[in-house]
Amino acid sequence: MSDRELQDLVLRALADAPFRASREWRDRALVEPGRLERFARFLARHFYYERIVHFFKYSRALARVTGRCPEAVLKSADFDALLATAVLGSRETARDVASLAVRHVKEVTPPPQLRYLNDLLRYEEAMMIAEAGPRVWRDSAHERAAGSSEPSAPERVEGTALLDLAYDLPAVLPRLLQSWVEVPQAPAQPVKLLIARSPHGRVTVARADAAVASVVELADGRKTLEQLAREAGLRATDLETTLVGLSDLGAVRFATGS
Amino acid sequence: MAPLMVGAFYNPHLGAELARAQGVDHLAMADPPAPTDPHWPAIKARYTLLLHDYLGQLSEPLDERSIARARALAELYRTPWVAEHFQCLHTEDGRYNINYVFPPLYTDEFLRRFVANAKALQARLDQPLVMENIPGFFDVKASQLPEPVWLRRFFDQTGAGFLLDLPHVWLEAHYRGVKPATWLAEFPLEQVVELHVAGVEEDQDLEGPWIAPAEPTDEMLDFTALAVSRCPAAKAVTFDAFAPSLTSDVLFKSVERIREAL
Repeated sequence: MSDRELQDLVLRALADAPFRASREWRDRALVEPGRLERFARFLARHFYYERIVHFFKYSRALARVTGRCPEAVLKSADFDALLATAVLGSRETARDVASLAVRHVKEVTPPPQLRYLNDLLRYEEAMMIAEAGPRVWRDSAHERAAGSSEPSAPERVEGTALLDLAYDLPAVLPRLLQSWVEVPQAPAQPVKLLIARSPHGRVTVARADAAVASVVELADGRKTLEQLAREAGLRATDLETTLVGLSDLGAVRFATGS
Repeated sequence: MAPLMVGAFYNPHLGAELARAQGVDHLAMADPPAPTDPHWPAIKARYTLLLHDYLGQLSEPLDERSIARARALAELYRTPWVAEHFQCLHTEDGRYNINYVFPPLYTDEFLRRFVANAKALQARLDQPLVMENIPGFFDVKASQLPEPVWLRRFFDQTGAGFLLDLPHVWLEAHYRGVKPATWLAEFPLEQVVELHVAGVEEDQDLEGPWIAPAEPTDEMLDFTALAVSRCPAAKAVTFDAFAPSLTSDVLFKSVERIREAL
């Protein structure tokens, strides 16, 4: 085993609690277990602090009205209980931690001027879950070559989410981060939002029209472009334009065949 | 010797205060400015800015995207040097990422990797590269060399500058049970270009002290004065705190106290 592979084992032990507890890891006796466990717990709290502060920033901005800071969950017994199974960066752990943050903020009755709070929390939770999962840290010649292959069979990328909201959140979000006295209001206007993550980890939100939504829902990695166009009710050129946009956002990828 | 610059990190939530502050010579940039940051134009016009972003881990070669990003940020900031860390925090396959600075194994293989990849990066930058030491909370039995020896070999082989993070040295000394000054003397101090100073606080998970967005203690300031006296090529001392919880009082008081200690 190379030193680089050994380093990867240490990193996995720090990130992956079940692996840290496994015989496979413990038998190697590379690190004093007590120190490793303490550092892993420190890292987990730091990892999810950064994510909650980033993805729940609008709820944080509203904390002076709700009285609830979402990051407070990181000091709770519920979060401590998650540490035994947490895998930093995994979608499952992101879902668990985001759910704790949502529950914490929702525990109080929202003030009447915050009718859109439930929508906001669903939005923030979806952002945090979408960001999770393995990511590409550096481009390689191999990946560039693969990306240049003829596309076929578009497939919705895991973590991509379509959200149906009762309030037009994009209209209010920037104002929540500015200084305000009266809570900024979101128009009661239904919107559908697409949340996607690029292979490099950038999370993007876009308003989704009916065409975008149907392509995202139908793209299962098996339907050909012709089948997809037919089922979505789109012309071939419109489908191509839609797929290019979705691919750029990271919402769909193309199975390139064997 | 030119007078030392004393500065801090740019914390965007303190942008308004920093834009009109006195007594801060430079700002290190951990993140690119947000497009909506109203204070960025004033910050850019007023301060010497040091590029201190995550560019990539030098256990692998940086790809073209990362190099282009580093060059663009260096040009945007007009930075006098470009900083990176001796870190290896994600697995090669991208599956595991601890999202926190973490040192490589101090082995010959990793030394070769870091030297080769740092030289490749240096060749693409228009500014000198400086590299920051990272604290180890535990030893990994696979490491072959003491950290200071490994660092010295890296600097000798690359000509890169040393960004000496003093709390990192102090913490390592604490967890090794040795005097900070004794541990500090092992490091290649003649290569130091910039020093980082920060506060440390008790961490419940670690059951001991760790870096925190707090004022440096008197002990840390004394340690800073000692270190600076042994770093003849040092050009800047930076209060190393970058956190949403950092207050302007702590930032400005820390910079002032660092300046007084030197």
